[in-house]
Amino acid sequence: MIESIPSPLRVLVSSNLLQSLRRLRSVGENSRLLTGVIVAFILGYAWFSYFLFYQSLRFVQRFPGLDTLLTERLLYLLFAFLFILLLFSNLIISYTNLFRNKETIFLLSLPIRRETIFLWKLLESTALASWAFLFLIAPLLIAFGRTNQAQWHFYVFTIVLIALFIVLPSAFGAFAAVTLARFMDRRSFQIALVGCAIVGLFAARWWLQPETLTDEMLETRVIEILDRMLAKTKFSQFPLLPSYWLSASVLNYAEGAFRNSAFFALVLLSNALFFGFLALSSMGRNFYEASSAVHSRGSILARWKFGRKAQTRDLTPLAPSYFESLLTLLPFLRPDRRALILKDIRVFWRDTTQWGQTLVIFGLLGVYIINLRHFSHQITNQFWVDLVSYLNLGACSLNLATLTTRFVYPQFSLEGKRVWIIGMAPLGLVRVILTKYFLSTTASLAITLALVWGSCYMLQLPWERTIYFSYAVIIMTLALNGLAIGLGVLYPNFKEDNPSKIVSGFGGTFCLVLSFLYILACVCALAFGAPWARAGTQPLHILLTAWTIFAVLSVLIGWMPLKIALGQVRRIEL
Amino acid sequence: MIELSNVVKKFGDLTAVNGVSLSIPRGEFFAILGPNAAGKTTTIKILTGLIRPTSGTASVASFDVQQHPLEARKSMAYVPDFPFLYDKLTAAEFLRFTGQLFQMTSSQIEAESRELIDRFDLHPYLRKPIEGLSHGTKQRVAIVSALMHRPKAFILDEPMVGLDPHHARTLKDVLKERSRTGMTVFISTHQLSVAEEMADRIGIMHRGRIIAIGTRDELRRQSGVDGALEQAYLALTADAPQEPQVAQ
Repeated sequence: MIESIPSPLRVLVSSNLLQSLRRLRSVGENSRLLTGVIVAFILGYAWFSYFLFYQSLRFVQRFPGLDTLLTERLLYLLFAFLFILLLFSNLIISYTNLFRNKETIFLLSLPIRRETIFLWKLLESTALASWAFLFLIAPLLIAFGRTNQAQWHFYVFTIVLIALFIVLPSAFGAFAAVTLARFMDRRSFQIALVGCAIVGLFAARWWLQPETLTDEMLETRVIEILDRMLAKTKFSQFPLLPSYWLSASVLNYAEGAFRNSAFFALVLLSNALFFGFLALSSMGRNFYEASSAVHSRGSILARWKFGRKAQTRDLTPLAPSYFESLLTLLPFLRPDRRALILKDIRVFWRDTTQWGQTLVIFGLLGVYIINLRHFSHQITNQFWVDLVSYLNLGACSLNLATLTTRFVYPQFSLEGKRVWIIGMAPLGLVRVILTKYFLSTTASLAITLALVWGSCYMLQLPWERTIYFSYAVIIMTLALNGLAIGLGVLYPNFKEDNPSKIVSGFGGTFCLVLSFLYILACVCALAFGAPWARAGTQPLHILLTAWTIFAVLSVLIGWMPLKIALGQVRRIEL
Repeated sequence: MIELSNVVKKFGDLTAVNGVSLSIPRGEFFAILGPNAAGKTTTIKILTGLIRPTSGTASVASFDVQQHPLEARKSMAYVPDFPFLYDKLTAAEFLRFTGQLFQMTSSQIEAESRELIDRFDLHPYLRKPIEGLSHGTKQRVAIVSALMHRPKAFILDEPMVGLDPHHARTLKDVLKERSRTGMTVFISTHQLSVAEEMADRIGIMHRGRIIAIGTRDELRRQSGVDGALEQAYLALTADAPQEPQVAQ
């Protein structure tokens, strides 16, 4: 009997699937609580988002003559933004997966075609980058189908469309990652990224200029006004945008215009096939060239005289950098704590893939807040101003929670293999933890306070409300950082070097869920506890109760885990 | 079997490998020594095709590693100082995985790995997940997986790190036996005793160049120092501390 030898791709896929299944199983076996929390969170999210989407679409349908226009535009916009996010996500994940991954280096030393390695990594990156997208849009599409009384085959057809759609950002993202890796080193990439972020911020600000609308126009020419307001979102209907083909196909199918739907589906299919084929057939060689460049490149700055000068300065033995000299201006920072802070900042800054994501999240929030002033011009109803201000506080805090879970929580675990350095130092682990808490809280406060002040200014809130929101966000920042640092110490993972993998364990998931619940409870408590709530007639005992709830929750969520963690660190055996 | 022809590798402004030419025949045990940052690991990366040389060529079993990478890699095996292993696979599954990637059938994998598993005492660990194994045991798994397909050239970067004396001896024996049957061994190490005991020829690399090459006796003559390999090595590499070569 002739024994068959499986193809390398099949071997890679099956071995990695086996690994993933074992990881899932070990999570279930190690902690039933974690499994329960994750399942409850997934189901809760799916139900809640479906409920919100369904209610929103039903609400939109109540506007006679406008329902179709609004629903269509919402769908076009949503898919356009998701396409951009998917593109960015694929770019970052592809870069990490192709050039910063130990498995890739291992595979490159084996007799496997580079095209096969690239294909495997592309599949892996697509799955990693797209699962959240699927998780996000599934409730929306079900809600959309239900509000349009779609048949069962609508859902099947939509699944096929989505599968074709995700091929495109995946191929574009991988292509961009390979091209960037081939021609740019870390420093030039960082400079380019920050430059792009600044340009993007100004472009967004310019693009979303306010429309001058009179009261008369608002009352008499609703469609025209709406059309002018929506004109800024017309980019989402650009015919060459893949999200346009997807949205058009879904919308036409739901309306029963099957011929039109099939046309857009075929456009999507042909593009997916073309770019998918291009990625699979010709990127393998480019990938190898880029990989070789990444693993053998010196600084690109050395090509120019000024760059060589800068490098020579860096080589001056043990001379403090400009940034270090700047930190010495803070007299309350002892040298050992300053060294720790400097190390953490440098490590974070040099990992572009880490802070690149933060830049996007808070950049989007920044653009939104900058444009609130246009929004507030058209809102005269105090209820909406109040609501938007609380929603802004919630959005800012939720972003902070993702930031603290993603970056602050793994801090202690990341010291694991290097704990002999800080653990043996006279600084002591307790001070190490407190220094990390100080650094993360200061950095978080700089962002959250700026966003909240920006939001209050744009909404033209009176100064006492600005103080109220500032006080709230300071407490929440302290609490969320305390929670992340505390749980990070209580559930350490010293085996893992990859922060995203550390976060995906029990402690990280628990931290994220607790943070979200805390924010939800706090925003509600603050809304009830605002002195101006119910036009300033809120009874005093309700105000006091709300403030007490906020304070107790903040102590329980922020201070307690930190306190317990510090106790644990005193007893830790290295 | 292993040929390096005028290989140069520049990392931006730094020349890590500077015109290295080397010819290692079939069945030779070749050890490369050198101070830190001498260019040994970069040479190995070029040889295994992980990075492209700035100029020059590298070939294994007469296959240029850049022009015919698949054929070259089929003929060689590489074990780095800290090998990558799939943590959630068991040792047996990992051996099977690498065997399949080298186009071995199940029966070939079984037949070829049996003796190696015995010699490296891996039986008790075959069904255990790799994540739970010690560094030395992981190293043994990596070595067995690399030797399983009977490579014509075996490239090792600091293979003794983490191995206990018993298994270090086993590895030396296996390498010597395989070398006698025609496998070329290219080993990079800081352990001069390993080179002295095992190698047919020794190359000393310094500042990206091979500054001396030959048998132990030839190296002693080249260094002008009579004594152990350590003395010859120290004499050959004893000059001003290394500084980065900034391109002008």
